[in-house]
Amino acid sequence: MDMLGYTLKRMAISVLTLLLVAAITFFLMNAIPGSPFMTEKSTPQQIALANAKYGLDKPLIVQFGNYLKNLAKGDMGVSLKMQEGTSVSKILFGQGKFVLSMKIGLLALLVAVIIGIPVGVLQAYYRGRWIDNILRVITTMGIAMPGFVVATLCLFEFGVTLGWLPVQSNSLETFGAYVMPVLTLALNPMCRIAKLTRTSMLDSISQDYIRTANAKGLKTRVVLFKHALRNSLIPVITYLGPLTAGIITGALVVEQIYHIPGLGNYFVSSILNRDYPVIMGTTLLLAALIVIMNLVVDIAYKIVDPRINITKKGD
Amino acid sequence: MTGKKAFQVFHTDTDQILDLNQYAGEDFSQAAEDEKASMVQMHKSVSYWQDAWRRFRSNPVSVGALIVFILILIFSFIGPMFIDYSYEEQYRSSQKLGPMEYSPTEQMVITLLENEADAVYATSLNAGSLSAIRKGDWFIRQGSQTYAFHVDKTIEKATLVVDSDSDPAVYYGKDKDWDEETKSYKEVTPIETTSEPAEGAQELKLSKRVFPHVFGTDSQGRDLLARCMYGARVSIIIGVAAALIVLIIGALYGSISGFAGGKVDFVMMRIVDLIYSIPDVLIVLLLQVVLKAPLQAWFDAGKDPVSRALSTLGVGIVSIFITFALLYWVGMARIIRGQVLQLKEQEFVMAAGVLGASPGRIIKRHLLPNCVGQLIIQTCLQIPSAIFLESFLSYLGLGVSAPMASLGSLCSDAKETFLLFPYRLLFPAILLSLIVLTLNLVGDGLRDALDPRLKS
Amino acid sequence: MNNEAMNQTSEKKMTAAERAAMIKNNKILLDVDGLKVTFFTHAGQVKAVDGISYQIHEHEVMGIVGESGSGKSVEAYSIMGLLQKPGRIVGGKVTFDGEDLLAYSDSEKREFRGNKASMIFQNPMTCLNPVYTIGDQLMEALRCHNKEISKAEARKKAIEMLELVGINNADKRIDQYPHEFSGGMRQRAMIAMALICSPKLLIADEPTTALDVTIQAQILELMKDLQRQTGMAIIFITHNLGVVAEICDFVTVMYAGHVMEQGTVDDIFYNPAHPYTRGLLRSMPNLDDEKGKRLIPIEGTPVDLLDPPKGCAFGPRCEHCMKVCLTKQPPMVTVGDDHKSACWLHIKEMKELSSGEVTK
Repeated sequence: MDMLGYTLKRMAISVLTLLLVAAITFFLMNAIPGSPFMTEKSTPQQIALANAKYGLDKPLIVQFGNYLKNLAKGDMGVSLKMQEGTSVSKILFGQGKFVLSMKIGLLALLVAVIIGIPVGVLQAYYRGRWIDNILRVITTMGIAMPGFVVATLCLFEFGVTLGWLPVQSNSLETFGAYVMPVLTLALNPMCRIAKLTRTSMLDSISQDYIRTANAKGLKTRVVLFKHALRNSLIPVITYLGPLTAGIITGALVVEQIYHIPGLGNYFVSSILNRDYPVIMGTTLLLAALIVIMNLVVDIAYKIVDPRINITKKGD
Repeated sequence: MTGKKAFQVFHTDTDQILDLNQYAGEDFSQAAEDEKASMVQMHKSVSYWQDAWRRFRSNPVSVGALIVFILILIFSFIGPMFIDYSYEEQYRSSQKLGPMEYSPTEQMVITLLENEADAVYATSLNAGSLSAIRKGDWFIRQGSQTYAFHVDKTIEKATLVVDSDSDPAVYYGKDKDWDEETKSYKEVTPIETTSEPAEGAQELKLSKRVFPHVFGTDSQGRDLLARCMYGARVSIIIGVAAALIVLIIGALYGSISGFAGGKVDFVMMRIVDLIYSIPDVLIVLLLQVVLKAPLQAWFDAGKDPVSRALSTLGVGIVSIFITFALLYWVGMARIIRGQVLQLKEQEFVMAAGVLGASPGRIIKRHLLPNCVGQLIIQTCLQIPSAIFLESFLSYLGLGVSAPMASLGSLCSDAKETFLLFPYRLLFPAILLSLIVLTLNLVGDGLRDALDPRLKS
Repeated sequence: MNNEAMNQTSEKKMTAAERAAMIKNNKILLDVDGLKVTFFTHAGQVKAVDGISYQIHEHEVMGIVGESGSGKSVEAYSIMGLLQKPGRIVGGKVTFDGEDLLAYSDSEKREFRGNKASMIFQNPMTCLNPVYTIGDQLMEALRCHNKEISKAEARKKAIEMLELVGINNADKRIDQYPHEFSGGMRQRAMIAMALICSPKLLIADEPTTALDVTIQAQILELMKDLQRQTGMAIIFITHNLGVVAEICDFVTVMYAGHVMEQGTVDDIFYNPAHPYTRGLLRSMPNLDDEKGKRLIPIEGTPVDLLDPPKGCAFGPRCEHCMKVCLTKQPPMVTVGDDHKSACWLHIKEMKELSSGEVTK
């Protein structure tokens, strides 16, 4: 098993995926009839002029080629509508949007993992007892409640009724401002991780090697945490890829509700405003995050589970 | 007796001293075959489905969830028959009411009905006003009587009262003449009626009661209970339809890929891998925007029956279906392929192949029936996730659009005024969470019941 | 008799009968008396083990033979305290070295497991934890019973054990993961793990069933050697009579949770008393058999333990089934020095003998 070779191959696939996402996004956006410059007042001449200015009059495939060429140079074009003339890379990275969203997203990811796994282990340990049942209802509820419901309820309860936490999290200057967005964002993935950990712990517990460990005379605690948990973590690790995607999705809603000027909020606006280059840039950026996470997960998988012969995976 | 006999010592264990005489000679005669057979009591064999059902029943959480979900189904599909409001009608003068609140007009109507009136028609509750074109072009039915009438002037912001005890039996009072203290009109105008309505006359639906706005109303005066029932119905239908789309595409793709194996399987699975690695929500958002215009154009043209049928669903819902058909079947396809690969190795499938059954027949007769447990579980879990996605899109303003409502769009409508009218968000949100929660719990219960690997 | 004496005598190549006779005089190590294990399932109570008794002497190798579902593994798990829900011991007594095993507390049971008695299982592919190295798992077994031992010492001991079970390059192999071992190697590692605390009793639950035939022979040879070297007692659970003949001193034949016959290897193979044992032997191929001789299977299928027959469990499949077999369970009859069998045929014979004497 050649780790380096595998990593390189996986990276090539990741780049291919990103290219595919870029192509899909590009052609989908251009499938929208009408020009983004079409307003009620604009004349056909004005539209043609604007189209020519941004190269929108050329054939699609040429436009896509140009876009990729510029992308390689780090140029993602300029915003057409929302901040007309500002370069997309500046909007994404220069205005603190990306950093802000990353901060919240990473914190949520940490919270989800740090709380989710122990909760799942606890449930498996006490399976069938009251603590397991209570936690199971809570985690299932956490999965069932849509993010926007949780976010608005928290906002109402802690922000308005109790007044403990700030309602608007615009700049996220204080610690308190982080609490609600991060927790609401983390809730769903946290409950999913807990549930996954519980299931896979229970699965591990029924394995033959657990019987061996018991036959050795090990303490229940050792059997559970040393022998069962490490095996149970494998499916949890594979979930980290979808988890990242989930957190990004959640961010679209959560940022809107808490009025956080982050990437998610801006992305939704750009879609509603049909600001092509911004949509393109943001989609690619978010897709890149997910793809990178998947890459990391696949490699981490290999480290945790020595059995995986990675070159044969997927068959 | 066969075998060499070399036993010299015969004695039973000390605690089992036997009195040999208690056994008669016939005890040691050969037993008949049917006697031997009767020793083996065949206990009732339990079929897979009976066993699954028993296991499902023994899980109180899942059973409870199933009951709650059935109640929600009754609420959203049968409930509308029992309330007087429709989801799209805007009741004037009844805007922004809280749960169980009545507007002044409704209060007035209630008082009228309590006092003397048999039935009323309040123009300010219903849409529009009464105006006349010809003599006798309105009629009302009250008991066995039919009253036909016409009014010269438009009756606006007034209430038509039918009271068989008074003379004339039909009159109207203007809202501005209502006296809150005496609970009566200062002045009423009688309406002349005949018993025969003219041809083409319109019937007025009288109200004999004022149905409470259990969940209140929105800012357009639409009844929230009716909208919640309707929204839940739309959400559930979307969820089920999307899950069925995923089921059909995923199961077909997965079973073909698994069954074909080899190069075909390899290529098909690489396609799945690629779709799997695409960040779905980003693409879904784009698709929602992109599909809107062409779909609308197609629907507006309305040339073929398909487009006409789909246009009743609306652009938002159809594009949700399309995105599901494009992106969400891959998970199902992977699971079914895995199952098929596992089954394919089993003897009964090989036997069918050896006997010359065609691949199509093997898939249909042997593979799919054995995957059915997985199919049910996955479909059941797909429904809440489809409802979830729909509500997410609708919340962002991309899914279902007014006057149609889904639970997501109801939440979205309520978000701006949330701080003033929290219940408008609360009711649909609770309903949405309940649906997703119960379906997830039922799905989990089904998985425990149907998956033989988890048999305890 | 002490270990050395045993070794010396074994060097003299005793016959099986001599060995059995010597072992019989050893101290009793494990005494199972009327053990009953029931599984409380939704469908009803399954009496997996319905009152079995046997004794294991020190240095003894006993085979427990039976078809699948005869309760032979369940009985072993009960002794080790590894019985899982919904199984429960509902009766009987298990005494090990004079101590009542069933009265042990949880921590005493843990101390017993792996230390005084250990167990190896059928499938070596799944019985080792895939995410830890072989060395980790070996050292863990040692260190959980002996807290004083240092890591370095434990490692040394682990390497010794691996060498003992015939793994080459043990000092390198110790850091490998189970998936880097072949099936036979893994079973060797399992044996090393089971023996690392020098237990007095090893329970081997079909240790060769999942292995290739050539590997099976190697593992059997290894276990035989190790038994001679360490002097531990072994309970060898198998459905393979050939394996029993190879390694065991005594044999217990089980069917549907009952003991059918007990005796020395010679008794069981050359002098089987019970129709079931005879049926088993007839269904087993033998190299010495003349060409063209047919194997005779036992007709029918094992009984359903949810609804066992009222009389003899083997009755429905027995060619000699008599009227009494239908309603009454047969008593255990001593038919030779160490040879017992539970069958009404013996009673019939006793009756005939006694009445014969009377008529004489």
